[in-house]
Amino acid sequence: MGGAKPKLMDRSIFEAKHAASEASGAALIEALDKVLGAKAGVAFAEVPVPHRRVERWKYTPTAAWWRDVLAPDIKTVAAAKCDENPVPGLDAYRLVFVNGAFDAAASDLPVHTGVTCMPVSQRHGQKLQVEDAFSPESSDWFASINGRYSQEGMYLRIAQGVEVDRPILIHHHTCGAGTFNVLRHDIVLALNASVKLIHWSTAAAEADGSVNVLTRADIGAGARLHLDKVQDEEGIVRHIAFEDIRQGRASHAEVHTITVRGSWVRNDLAFRINGQGAHAELNGAFLPGEGEFVDNHTTVDHRVPHCTSSENYKGILYGKSTGVFNGKVFVRPDAQQTNAYQQNANILASENSRMNAKPELEIYADDVKCSHGCTVGQFDSDALFYARSRGVGLEAAKAMLVHAFIGDVLKGLSIPEVRLEVEHRLAEKHGWDVWSDHPNDDS
Amino acid sequence: MAYEGKDKVIEEVTGKSYEFGFTSEIESDKAPAGLSEKIIRLISAKKDEPEWMLQWRLNAFAVWQTMDEPNWPHLQYEKPDYQAISYYAAPKQKKQLNSLEEVDPELRRTMDKLGISIEEQKRLSGVAVDFVLDSVSVATSFKDKLAELGIIFCSMSEAVKEHPELVRKHLGTVVPTRDNFFSALNAAVFTDGSFCYIPKGVRCPMELSTYFRINESGTGQFERTLLVADEGSYVSYLEGCTAPQRDENQLHAAVVELVALDEAEIKYSTVQNWYPGDENGKGGIYNFVTKRGICHHRSKISWTQVETGSAVTWKYPSCILKGDNSVGEFYSVAVTNNAQQADTGTKMIHLGKNTHSTIISKGISAGNSHNSYRGLVQIMPSAANARNFSQCDSLLMTDTSGAHTFPYVEVKNPTAQVEHEATTSKIGEDQIFYCLQRGIDAEQAISLIVNGYAKEVLNQLPMEFAVEAQKLLSISLEGSVG
Repeated sequence: MGGAKPKLMDRSIFEAKHAASEASGAALIEALDKVLGAKAGVAFAEVPVPHRRVERWKYTPTAAWWRDVLAPDIKTVAAAKCDENPVPGLDAYRLVFVNGAFDAAASDLPVHTGVTCMPVSQRHGQKLQVEDAFSPESSDWFASINGRYSQEGMYLRIAQGVEVDRPILIHHHTCGAGTFNVLRHDIVLALNASVKLIHWSTAAAEADGSVNVLTRADIGAGARLHLDKVQDEEGIVRHIAFEDIRQGRASHAEVHTITVRGSWVRNDLAFRINGQGAHAELNGAFLPGEGEFVDNHTTVDHRVPHCTSSENYKGILYGKSTGVFNGKVFVRPDAQQTNAYQQNANILASENSRMNAKPELEIYADDVKCSHGCTVGQFDSDALFYARSRGVGLEAAKAMLVHAFIGDVLKGLSIPEVRLEVEHRLAEKHGWDVWSDHPNDDS
Repeated sequence: MAYEGKDKVIEEVTGKSYEFGFTSEIESDKAPAGLSEKIIRLISAKKDEPEWMLQWRLNAFAVWQTMDEPNWPHLQYEKPDYQAISYYAAPKQKKQLNSLEEVDPELRRTMDKLGISIEEQKRLSGVAVDFVLDSVSVATSFKDKLAELGIIFCSMSEAVKEHPELVRKHLGTVVPTRDNFFSALNAAVFTDGSFCYIPKGVRCPMELSTYFRINESGTGQFERTLLVADEGSYVSYLEGCTAPQRDENQLHAAVVELVALDEAEIKYSTVQNWYPGDENGKGGIYNFVTKRGICHHRSKISWTQVETGSAVTWKYPSCILKGDNSVGEFYSVAVTNNAQQADTGTKMIHLGKNTHSTIISKGISAGNSHNSYRGLVQIMPSAANARNFSQCDSLLMTDTSGAHTFPYVEVKNPTAQVEHEATTSKIGEDQIFYCLQRGIDAEQAISLIVNGYAKEVLNQLPMEFAVEAQKLLSISLEGSVG
């Protein structure tokens, strides 16, 4: 019987592992201090080192991170160039970062009235937002790493009422071995400002390292942020991303997270809704293949009345892959008239794929409408039969179903070029030719 | 809420005193407070237990000492001082009882107040009652009738003596001692409980029922229930609780183990109404229960619970679906009021092929209470074509109460289908308006809506129990909030 195996229950094993991760965590900080040097005045938060017994890390293996410690040849920047535009045909401002360093030659900074945009390292005299008790830096170990060692990032300020004419593309590329990339993007949108951002991460096939990105966005009253996040990293890259978004009155924020490729990916999104009438939207699609791990953690914190949030995550798991979804909707005592919706649907497409989901609701106000739904299943055999009986091959039929399944998430990518490129890369990864035959250009 | 009478309604909720809060005075034999090997030997000796049972307890005690009280539930309470509790209290019994007439008249009156007169149950409803008053069974009825069919229904202490082979074979197989802090504590110090064995192919002709009741102030109750349904058998088991009003917190850490062998079916229903404490959260029972069943081939275990009492509830009736084609069900209504806190739910562990599970959980939070659903659906790699459907709804009655949902879904087999849905809302004002304009007052309207909301679960209860469940719901909510 599964439950009675004493070796699973043995606390000493847990404790030994826990002690090991504590030690590895300390060793990692020591190694990083040597190579990167701690920032002056940045203390490390008193938070537990991630481990399976820490609830937020229950389903997320961190062993790969600790292996880095044993290979102390951490490099800050490998000399490399990246000048290809990840989204061909897209007319956008570009900020290119290679292994955590700003690549001025490949970049095209926005020139627009009311827009201040530059790499963090070049912002002379302008202050970054300070962290507070709600910042991930003070509650998460890896975010704390970011606070201590962040190397570079984008500094973006948009003045009142300004709508940026073209999207801003942040492209991060990882290459070489042993890189440890820490980026922090700092975004402030003033009253009624509006911007579309694309955060595109790529990595070379031989890349081996880690990426730690923290994006802080302060969205003023009536302002709009649209962020498309695409992760398409080859090689062995441990990617951990934090989005810390604070919304003002009647603001609108959308984050669309598409994980095309990534050996180890964790996305940690936190929306804090501080102004009435605001709307938050979080969508995601992840299609991990053989050996890949994708984890999506989201928190929507409704702190004031009359706000809405909508969340939709879709996962299709191939090969020996593991997916994690943990969504939390938090409604504070005063946040009456909240309308929160959360949906997570997953398809296990292979024998050895695994899915762990934990959709949570924590509600302290009574006049609210909150719901969540979560499913884990497989391709609809009736639909497959229908397609096959009309001469569509099994794999093609499955690809069609996938297209329909994640279609509503991909539709959220409001820039057509981005969506086409995402579809193209997904089709390329999974070898679907139906997709390219039927480009989804109906919208 | 924009209807009249709300304040009155709320006032009545909080003003309602505990209806079953009486204390019966029966002379009792009580162990000194504290927990040590000596106390465990004393309990074992008092109960005249065989050596293997004592060793089992001592082993559990050793395990318990290495464990910590869990901190993960969404509960805030003062942790009990385990050395301040008396672990044994038994009503003094001079001799073995052969008939009900010999039962202590004081005890009989207690039963009458609870509305479970044994003769009446015997004559009218055909329910056999194994009445547990502070840890030791004192009256058992219908035994002869059940014995004809080969059904064993007795107290745990009797079973240890009379049927050691069955007890040894199954005790601790579903809830191992190491499972959690409270199950280890229970294994070390359990004083009594019920044991039930249904032989092969027997369909138990009546609902088996046990009434638990905490009586002595300061004694925790550590029940141990073991129910074994042999191949092809069927049993429906009822458990209900009421407790006297006390100011200090009382600990209840029970363990229930169900074994459904091939093609057996067990229906386990609970109505729980321990003393919830007063409106400020003073007093009340701590209910930390481990309930779990194991299903073999083509068997079925169905848990139904109506939780209205306890200051703090920590309870997850679970099913291990080990055999192919087995079925697990969980139906729950949990009502919290005033300062009550409940963290309850279920675990469905799918191991066998074509295993199915259904979870329906309805939470109702009123006053300043917090009600959490915490559930795990785990599909192991071996569980091909497993199917789960979960639905957890929460109803909030006041803006100071909280409703929380923490479902865990772990799927390791691609042929499984798992669905989970949850909603949280308050009673719609349009629904109340609809009732008001048809001459139904606000209080009745809320009662109507709450009843409809919980119907799905109440319908699962056996007839005899449904009446009591509705009575308890009305005590904790209907008579007051609705």
